[in-house]
Amino acid sequence: MTGAELVLKVLQQHGIKHIFGYPGGAIMPIYDALYDSDVEHFLCRHEQGAAFSAIGYARSTGKVGVCMATSGPGATNLVTGLADAMMDSVPVVAITGQVFSSLIGTDAFQEMDVLGMSLSITKQSFLVQSLDELADILHQAFEVAQSGRPGPVLVDIPKDIQVGSVDFEPYPIAQKQVPDFDAQVLADAQALIKAANKPLFYIGGGVGMADAIDEMQDLLAKTKIPAISTLKALGTVPADYPYNLGLVGMHGNQAANHAVQDCDLLICTGARFDDRVTGKLDTFAPNAKVIHLDIDPAEISKLRQADISILADFKKLLPELAVTTEISPWQQQVAELKTQYAWRYDYPGDSIYAPKLLNLLSQKLPFDHAVSCDVGQHQMWVAQHMLFSSPRNHLSSGGAGTMGFGLPAAIGVQVARPDCMSVVVSGDGSFMMNVQELGTIRRFKLPVKIVLLDNQRLGMVKQWQELFFEERYSETNLSDNPDFVTLAKAFDIPALTISQDDQIEDGINQLINTDGPFLLHVQIDDKENVWPLVPPGKANHDMLEGEKV
Amino acid sequence: MTHTIKLKANSRPEVMERILRVVRHRGFNLEEVLMKQCQTTNSTKITLKVSGDRPISNLETQLNKLYDVSQLELHQSTATADSAVAMNA
Repeated sequence: MTGAELVLKVLQQHGIKHIFGYPGGAIMPIYDALYDSDVEHFLCRHEQGAAFSAIGYARSTGKVGVCMATSGPGATNLVTGLADAMMDSVPVVAITGQVFSSLIGTDAFQEMDVLGMSLSITKQSFLVQSLDELADILHQAFEVAQSGRPGPVLVDIPKDIQVGSVDFEPYPIAQKQVPDFDAQVLADAQALIKAANKPLFYIGGGVGMADAIDEMQDLLAKTKIPAISTLKALGTVPADYPYNLGLVGMHGNQAANHAVQDCDLLICTGARFDDRVTGKLDTFAPNAKVIHLDIDPAEISKLRQADISILADFKKLLPELAVTTEISPWQQQVAELKTQYAWRYDYPGDSIYAPKLLNLLSQKLPFDHAVSCDVGQHQMWVAQHMLFSSPRNHLSSGGAGTMGFGLPAAIGVQVARPDCMSVVVSGDGSFMMNVQELGTIRRFKLPVKIVLLDNQRLGMVKQWQELFFEERYSETNLSDNPDFVTLAKAFDIPALTISQDDQIEDGINQLINTDGPFLLHVQIDDKENVWPLVPPGKANHDMLEGEKV
Repeated sequence: MTHTIKLKANSRPEVMERILRVVRHRGFNLEEVLMKQCQTTNSTKITLKVSGDRPISNLETQLNKLYDVSQLELHQSTATADSAVAMNA
């Protein structure tokens, strides 16, 4: 068989049924092999869309997402997506075509040093140098993408290797290596938890990535220790857990931020002390000892010194960690914080209050749904006001904060989970960054539901200009946006604009009940900001709380 | 602080770039470098002398995390710039 056919064989061996991509000169042999293959290819309208769809596929299932592109600009268009996958630890395999080996280094047409570009945005990358190593490299790519802390892997394949002849040999799939943890360190951690008066779980995306959500929920049920969540962890702690404090950090719940500042033991579970979580680092959880649980040694004591650290697969570790606690005054305090700082939606007024709309949407969506969002104010409102039953149902570009993530990610979700209601919540700025993917929705008749919160501004930047740049609104006015309803209709997507509070219910009903895709265009007040807010350089207990407009 | 790190890595053409990128990005300056290919084991031995104010453990874990790095040892950390002995060892 040819090298190109071998690529598809190996994909199938790893259970890959769907891939996202865009053809071009240097990857034509693989696209030719695809023509006869059972692997289903989803043609996106930009390689960045393909990368984000692969991410959506991976994040909503826990499986590897695969994207493909040609050499040169095809590969550079994948770069932002791979960087996003790197920052959020998403298992993605990217396959790029490269010019003939003999032309590498000659500045040939569409020849770029993709391996060089990949170094900082992938967990590992390969430029295949001979047919003999092609199969082995592809198998390694899948193993590396999924093992330990997951991440993106790029395989760059020159055209001569794609067209060359090779024998296919079945390859034993390696078993995942699980590090063993020390029994004494586990006992020390348990003793520290038992001795604490105000312990707090600080839960990150690592729990979901380790497929250890049930184990985490059991541990919470047994210990009854309060919990805060990072953006990527939302959905891990059951919404009805009485000590679930929700999102922590810059736009976190007041209750979560006050609790973390007051706790005496922080049990960091698959999180990484990101600056959007900690605020001013040396003021974060100032009274707390730290237990850091992770699979990545490089995260331990990277930003906050850990008193005890355990490297482990959470599926194995978390069931071992349970202890009985006697912390009723702390639990009482947490319950009071939750009541004191509960969200409210009962503001008077005729205009649409986006948090209220999102909260209602969250209640009305069918059980099997996933929300992908873009980046900005709407992203924070989704995190604050929508409830999730699993982190696989909340896809948000956390580490990289990539505008344009939502629409293609929701396409990936819909392909991976055809029976799921895949919803995008976007803003008018972000939506235009990968708007071409409406063409992918149309082509594959994907029933993706789009909620477009339109304040005719780059709202989050504008909010910072208002608060920290003396209201100098530099380049954040988007009042010349296109007519989004007409735009949707050009792609055969029915759409509706709403602008008044009393239209919310009907708008959401049409979104959910219309067969196929739908775009709900929601006009909101540009003066509405995201609250609360920890200003840059401040401690988490110094939150600003603004007024609703 | 100046630190001497010895690494064994897979012999891929880009492995040196990969390692040096991490050194730079994680906040260290490269002071000296020695690299030797070993044909029989298909591996590369690299000795780096780096300087920087950040904790060297952060660089160690980031380098060790690279898929192509199979062994890493921190040989010497000194407050001075003189670690010629370690480089020649």
